[in-house]
Amino acid sequence: MLIELKDINKTYYGAQPLHVLKGVTLGIERGEFVSIMGASGSGKSTLLNILGILDNYDSGEYRIDGKLIWNLSEKEAANYRNRLIGFIFQSYNLIGFKTAVENVELPLLYQGVPRKKRRQMAMDYLERLGLKEWAGHYPSEMSGGQKQRVAIARALITKPSIILADEPTGALDSRTSVEIMELLSELNRTENMTVIVVTHESGVANFTNKIVHIKDGMIGEIEANARHDASPFGAGGIMK
Amino acid sequence: MRDLINEIWSTVSGNKLRTALTGFAVSWGIFLLICLLGAGNGLMNAFMGNSDDFVKNSVQVWGGFTSKPYAGYKQGRWIRLDKGDASLLSGAEFSENIVDVSPTTSGRNVNLVYGTNSVRVSLVGVNPGFSNINKVNMSEGRFINPIDISERRKGIVIGTNTAKALLEGTRMQPKDLIGKWLKAGDQAFVVTGLFHTDESRMGGEAFAPFSTMQVIEGNGDNLGTIVFTTRGLETEKENEDFNQAFGSRIKSRHDADPTDERALWIWNRKLGNLRMTKAQNILATFLWILGVLTLVSGIVGVSNIMLISVKERTHEFGIRKAIGAKPGAILKLIVAESVTITAVFGYIGMLLGMLACEVMDRTIGQNSVNVGFTEIHILENPTVGLSVALEATLLLIVAGTIAGLAPARKASRVKPIEALRAE
Repeated sequence: MLIELKDINKTYYGAQPLHVLKGVTLGIERGEFVSIMGASGSGKSTLLNILGILDNYDSGEYRIDGKLIWNLSEKEAANYRNRLIGFIFQSYNLIGFKTAVENVELPLLYQGVPRKKRRQMAMDYLERLGLKEWAGHYPSEMSGGQKQRVAIARALITKPSIILADEPTGALDSRTSVEIMELLSELNRTENMTVIVVTHESGVANFTNKIVHIKDGMIGEIEANARHDASPFGAGGIMK
Repeated sequence: MRDLINEIWSTVSGNKLRTALTGFAVSWGIFLLICLLGAGNGLMNAFMGNSDDFVKNSVQVWGGFTSKPYAGYKQGRWIRLDKGDASLLSGAEFSENIVDVSPTTSGRNVNLVYGTNSVRVSLVGVNPGFSNINKVNMSEGRFINPIDISERRKGIVIGTNTAKALLEGTRMQPKDLIGKWLKAGDQAFVVTGLFHTDESRMGGEAFAPFSTMQVIEGNGDNLGTIVFTTRGLETEKENEDFNQAFGSRIKSRHDADPTDERALWIWNRKLGNLRMTKAQNILATFLWILGVLTLVSGIVGVSNIMLISVKERTHEFGIRKAIGAKPGAILKLIVAESVTITAVFGYIGMLLGMLACEVMDRTIGQNSVNVGFTEIHILENPTVGLSVALEATLLLIVAGTIAGLAPARKASRVKPIEALRAE
């Protein structure tokens, strides 16, 4: 089991305490392509933050590859994020004053990889994603799909155990959305990469092999989706 | 290192106006600091330069008029130094502190005549050691030597401007006067040397052998001044005590009140220098404080701008942290940025400040002021040395670090989850 969540609870203490995750238990195997689906307010973003070691949980147990993720210092958390997890965000989250290749090599900078090797690896990943010619361009000079592919290259460059994608197609048109989802799917198939996609769109979830429904902070139905026919709107398309 | 430089370069070049405004505050601070220090140094160099003609540890003593009645005498009596005073000073009593005693006769105003020209000078009989103590710089010929003294020769040493005045209307150069006879009052002297004259040594005096002048004046044992060098007197207190000790001995020899300050004039240059050094240190400290206070406003400016910058870049730091930046890496980035801005603009300010000092040197530094009997420079070489530049560099780095520290801590504490939400 690559990811083990056992009875995870999380409450936000504001003016009114909000119990967001109510005992989530979930296991994800290495090489799975999973989507976590839920409406806004269902707790899926909180779950993603906990999975990504961006946030703490109040009680329960979270293990990656058997390692307990609990009470980490900022330094340790940063180290785990750097080595274990590749993030893909809805809004790409590229750094605006850095070129594509500089953005891609940034995680390696924090690993202390020498400059030349870093640049070489970043160029390799950009080439694999068909963005070799765009290496020297700034994010503002690229289309949404290109930016998301740069972000994917950045997520992949550290060879992480898990790819966490938070609404990866949220800002893209439907054609580009399909391209990005097919890219993730291909990564999962050819490289046996574990990919977790958080989304509220069933069309996006339909690309994945397993759909975990989350509602009101609890895991609901977990459907296997081997035939990719879960979308009520028909296979092959993403309804926007 | 190179990565850090690249990172800083990309953020700085992305915010040109902001960086320039911040930098200006720092440049201005350093500029003022350097100008202040330069002007202060100039002032001090001028003081020092104007007293440069004298050996630093010499003491000159001459008689005055008593201001207090003592031992049955009333006040207003002229104290005349004599040979007894000279032998007292060179004797065993003060041998620990006094090295080289050189008495002079009191100056005698005479007309020097050569051909048809004449110049009025004060002719002083001196010993060979006088030129060392009072730094008489010879331009031609030689100063009084021991043979002059023992044979009571009638040699004379005059200033170059005296020589020029004597040669007015002739085609001779001053150096041609060496070996020529001059008429001095009712005596004749042969010129043995010429000394340099400038603003601080006007050349209104001429020197002849002490023994010769004593005979000519016929006034027995009387002396004009006694000049000597001291040793082993390092502190202000030691010098004051020493002045007191030998002063009261001389005064009591002449039946003057030992506490009468006006009966005997003592010019202790070592003491003067010590006091001047103290004043210089106070002035330098004061200037540094002023300069540093000016710089502080620059630092506050940098810190302020860095805080705004950190606020604006919260999202970016969130991204960096999400992909694995440790808090220390963010801290380092911000501090390095702050130090870079401070150091680069500080250096610009420093170079401009040094330029301003050069301009000061070329303009005000060349002016001199007439203070009655002589001319002095107000500022001499008003520049700062390499050590000040190094100190300022160190100061800049420290300042930049301090300026960057608070914003950097803020940046390093950014929670990635909150930062990513801030869009």
